[in-house]
Amino acid sequence: MIEDDLRSAFVRHERLAPPVGPLRAAIDRTAQRRRRRRSRLRVAGAALAMLLAGLVGIPVAVADRDRVPANLLLDRATPAAPAGPLNLLLLGLDGGSGDPDLRADSVLLVHLPADRSGVYLIALPRDLTVPVPGRGEQKLNSAFTAGMGRGADRSGGWELTRQAVTDLTGVRIGAGAALTYSALRKLTDELDGVPLCLPRQVRSMHTGRTFPAGCQHLDGAAALDLLRQRRGLPEGAQDRDRHAQLFAAALLRRAGERDLFSEPVGLSTLLRTLGDHLTLAGGATGLELLVTEAARLTDDIPVVAVDLPTRVTGPGQRFEMRLDATLAEPLLAALRTDRLAEWARTHPDRVTVQR
Amino acid sequence: MTYEEFADSRLTALLRYAVMLTGDPHQAQDLVQETMVRVQLNWRRVARADSPDRYVRRTLTNQYIDWRRGSWMRRVLLRAEPAETVVVPVDHAQAAADRDQVWSWLARLPRRQRATLVLRYYEDLPDAEIAEILGCAVGTVRASISRALATLRAELVEA
Repeated sequence: MIEDDLRSAFVRHERLAPPVGPLRAAIDRTAQRRRRRRSRLRVAGAALAMLLAGLVGIPVAVADRDRVPANLLLDRATPAAPAGPLNLLLLGLDGGSGDPDLRADSVLLVHLPADRSGVYLIALPRDLTVPVPGRGEQKLNSAFTAGMGRGADRSGGWELTRQAVTDLTGVRIGAGAALTYSALRKLTDELDGVPLCLPRQVRSMHTGRTFPAGCQHLDGAAALDLLRQRRGLPEGAQDRDRHAQLFAAALLRRAGERDLFSEPVGLSTLLRTLGDHLTLAGGATGLELLVTEAARLTDDIPVVAVDLPTRVTGPGQRFEMRLDATLAEPLLAALRTDRLAEWARTHPDRVTVQR
Repeated sequence: MTYEEFADSRLTALLRYAVMLTGDPHQAQDLVQETMVRVQLNWRRVARADSPDRYVRRTLTNQYIDWRRGSWMRRVLLRAEPAETVVVPVDHAQAAADRDQVWSWLARLPRRQRATLVLRYYEDLPDAEIAEILGCAVGTVRASISRALATLRAELVEA
């Protein structure tokens, strides 16, 4: 009987197993080394997690990438108290570094209330038609391309997008970042992947990979693959934005689990690793703000993702997506007056992710 | 349970399991080492699982199945951090084992099929548990076992 042959073959080969003593020591040494390496990356991870929160990748250019202010690294024990609510703008860019044709595929507004009792993620559809300063009415993602100009200046792209978002929502945006998908992948891998729960199955048009409905663990490459999917999803770009929000929330949770928000070392190393894939708006001040805020986020702070109400012009006309003024106004008013917690409680149907 | 206690009680069994999967003591060692490093770094989460043992076994199995497809090989080998190597003593038992036919046929099976055989005929797990470890349906487990057995039987007839 083949089954019996198998059983005895297995048992006979048990003696191939090497002794466990040296193996155990090697495991401990390797784990120790990785732990040290990880703690070096912590802050970097924190700042990135914040960025990712948006999921969003935005590549922002740090003018002095190699000269992170010394006080930022040394004086983290007593970060300045936050004055009032803070809004951050995160952009996820599709296209590689050096690609003049970068587009801002994900536009994420991150709102931190004055009491820092939560993190609110508001995804702005990239196809939303908005007034872009100096350009008339355009799709939101064209603001980044227009702002970049011929010089491929990502800070300029972020800045014009910021103006358009401020005009649309009426909120002041304090800082932000732009990252490419590569930055996102690297960050995810630094965290050893993130757990993510999908409401329904997604099949990748790019790799053929199937992401089943339910919870799964995604490494950097898989997360990237998922986040790029748009065609074939029931609600297209809107579903993609939801994936981004889910991912951002999962990433924050993961970063919290890993104690990413401590240890003020190695930020400049991390920034160098990400290189051109990350652009931080506002130079050193913007960076300081992001790091300080990221360090405050703990595991127990709720992350709430909100859908911006939009409507699409009917059949027969040119496709256009616009803000649904009636539905959006209460949300934007709550955002401006820092009462999003209350709004989320009374509009549970518009909250897509919460933890 | 602490990581130390877990390693004390389970490491030998995991290593044997990895030997059955890979058929090679060196690869088994690498596989167990990479899995256990991750287990140690994430011990809090592993300890929260209903059964840490099953959780670790699942991680190790998936790592084995995904092996050449990239992920962990790439992570382990392409990081600037060379894996620790432990010298494995080669003895005559291995030479004898290498002559073992059934054992050498196992090497030709796809990894997933080999894993199902190991889980059923070495670990003696019920199909439902095998399905859970491999993350597939019970029917898939049965199909892959019967396909693997058919392959081995065909070899047997030819030999």
